[in-house]
Amino acid sequence: MINILVVSERKDKCDYFNTLFNKNTYELSCLSDENLIFDLISADNPDIIIIDSQINNLKNLSKKIKSICNNTIIIFLVSSTKIEKELLKYANAFFTDDMSDDFVLSTINVNLRMKNSLEMLSNSNKDLADSLYRLNALYSTSSQFSGTLDKAKLIQYMIEGMDRALSFSLTCTLSFCTTNEPVLLLNSLYELSDELIEALKVRTVLNYNSLFEGKKPPFEINADSLKVIKQIKYPASRFTFSLFRFDNMFAPISLGENFFGCVEIFKESQFSPDDATCFQTIAQQVSLPLKSAALYQEIIEANSKLAKLERLKSEFISIVSHELRTPLTSIKNSLDILMSGRCGEMNESADKFLSMAMRNVQRLSGIINDLLDLSKIEAGKMDFHFAPTNINTVIDYVKSALSEVAKSKGLTIITEQQDCVPEITADAQRLEQVLTNLVSNAIKYTPENRTITISSKLINSKDIHINEYFKDSIHIADGDYVLVCVKDEGIGIEEKNLVHAFDKFAQIENSLSRKAGGTGLGLPIAKQLLEAHHGAIWCDSELNKGSEFYFVIPAAKALQLV
Amino acid sequence: MKKILIVDDEQDIVESLKFVLEASDFTCYCAYNGEDGLRLAKEIIPDLIILDVMMPKINGYKISRLLKYDAKYKNIPILMVTARSQEEDKLIGEETGADEYITKPFELDAVVKKVEQYLK
Repeated sequence: MINILVVSERKDKCDYFNTLFNKNTYELSCLSDENLIFDLISADNPDIIIIDSQINNLKNLSKKIKSICNNTIIIFLVSSTKIEKELLKYANAFFTDDMSDDFVLSTINVNLRMKNSLEMLSNSNKDLADSLYRLNALYSTSSQFSGTLDKAKLIQYMIEGMDRALSFSLTCTLSFCTTNEPVLLLNSLYELSDELIEALKVRTVLNYNSLFEGKKPPFEINADSLKVIKQIKYPASRFTFSLFRFDNMFAPISLGENFFGCVEIFKESQFSPDDATCFQTIAQQVSLPLKSAALYQEIIEANSKLAKLERLKSEFISIVSHELRTPLTSIKNSLDILMSGRCGEMNESADKFLSMAMRNVQRLSGIINDLLDLSKIEAGKMDFHFAPTNINTVIDYVKSALSEVAKSKGLTIITEQQDCVPEITADAQRLEQVLTNLVSNAIKYTPENRTITISSKLINSKDIHINEYFKDSIHIADGDYVLVCVKDEGIGIEEKNLVHAFDKFAQIENSLSRKAGGTGLGLPIAKQLLEAHHGAIWCDSELNKGSEFYFVIPAAKALQLV
Repeated sequence: MKKILIVDDEQDIVESLKFVLEASDFTCYCAYNGEDGLRLAKEIIPDLIILDVMMPKINGYKISRLLKYDAKYKNIPILMVTARSQEEDKLIGEETGADEYITKPFELDAVVKKVEQYLK
């Protein structure tokens, strides 16, 4: 129905419009009394007002009408072709007395269509503004989500985001991630009575259980013992039970099998479909960071557990070694006394078994020393005394120390040293330990009458070729290095075992190596010691042909340049 | 005959040290805890003390410190014996004024040699 108001004192005009609009689609009123006109405008809000320009007080009246009905089409009925300029401000169109019916009707129609279009445009604008606002709220909420891994904060951001986007009256959030026990978070505009809170608790538990229809919920919840945290925006006012007549929405906060809680939201006015989408989006969006937060927490816990275990392991090794040394000392002392002959002469077989006992005591104390060394290195407690060192001095020392043992096995140790090898910054005693270990291994694993070669030379990092087994685990900085190689003609290492040569307790399983004895810790210790020197160790080997162990340490000059 | 006090809660170790030292013509006195060790040290004023670190009642560090700060006993050489081999422990040993630091397991002959060196 199109509502038309004609403001005129002329009866013939009123009659004319009455006849013209005397159809079902129009509802026409003709008035001239100013008070009645405004009563009707405020009650009916007419779509079109036709003002007769011959009416009294035309300008004032027009101004007043225009000021109170902004969206109404105003058409002036003028007698002459000349239009008063002031009326232009208020007019959407003009009729003249002599206009044909068709002309009048089509002018009305055109203006009505225009009015409709404008209204649609204005509505779309409003919708657009709403969407934009909601989108902004969602955006700022999701950036908040990505900024934290604190689960309680994430739930808080979710509630704040819902407030921004949906301006709720009340939210009931059942959260499993704020503290250790489930908590009901009530965020309300107004104060809630104890009875209402009890009712909300029961309702939330029912909602929660309905999510797992037929199945067992991840947590058992009891409405009586449920902890409540409430936040009231305006405590002066109070909600009543009529709250349950408000519009409401409900959503779980979960991701796959991870369940973090659920949220119900109440609002006095109706939620639109867009509101529902927005609500679901926020509830879903918070699940992902909650899951990350849960994983993050697990990692932190696992890490601290691991660190504790590592510490315990080091302490354990150190205590055990200490406890082992004391009885070992007593055994060794007793053997020393017996072997020294202070208790009388031993016969040949007693002497043999005493030597056997002594050998094994020495082996045991070697193992304990290795364990202690390793635990010290791993705990970062190993002390190094770095000083300019000539590698050839170390090689000569180790050669002379071990040549007796080698000779007793029918082996020859030869050295191929480069004379001009530069000094290195090293702890000479530790280097002796490394080299002694490598040469002892070579002696252990090389059959009689063969040769062991120790060589040294200066080499540039670009000329160092590391085989494919160690290439990926060793990174050598550019510069000059001193390279040492211990080459034997022994049993060699099988290809599949080569990469594990420097692993802890990785003594390769075969009868010969068992016979050879040792802790399986010598090479891992050597590796750690060399790494402390900014160096590296690796090996090449061919089964039954022999092995070559290489290590490099930066030349002192290169270090100074850095 | 030179008097040597051996203080160690490990009876077996005391026994073996006593055996080799007596074989080298020293008179040995033995204590099996810190308190007895300290008392005996003040009583007999030995020519040298072999002192374990980890002991019940009073540990070796403390005994060494107490003796070395007392003019009456400060000239008695102290050989500290311990199963601990951390560098920091060595430092504590030096602060207490111990003259020598021996790590378990040790060579009996080496200990005898050390003792003879101090008592020459």
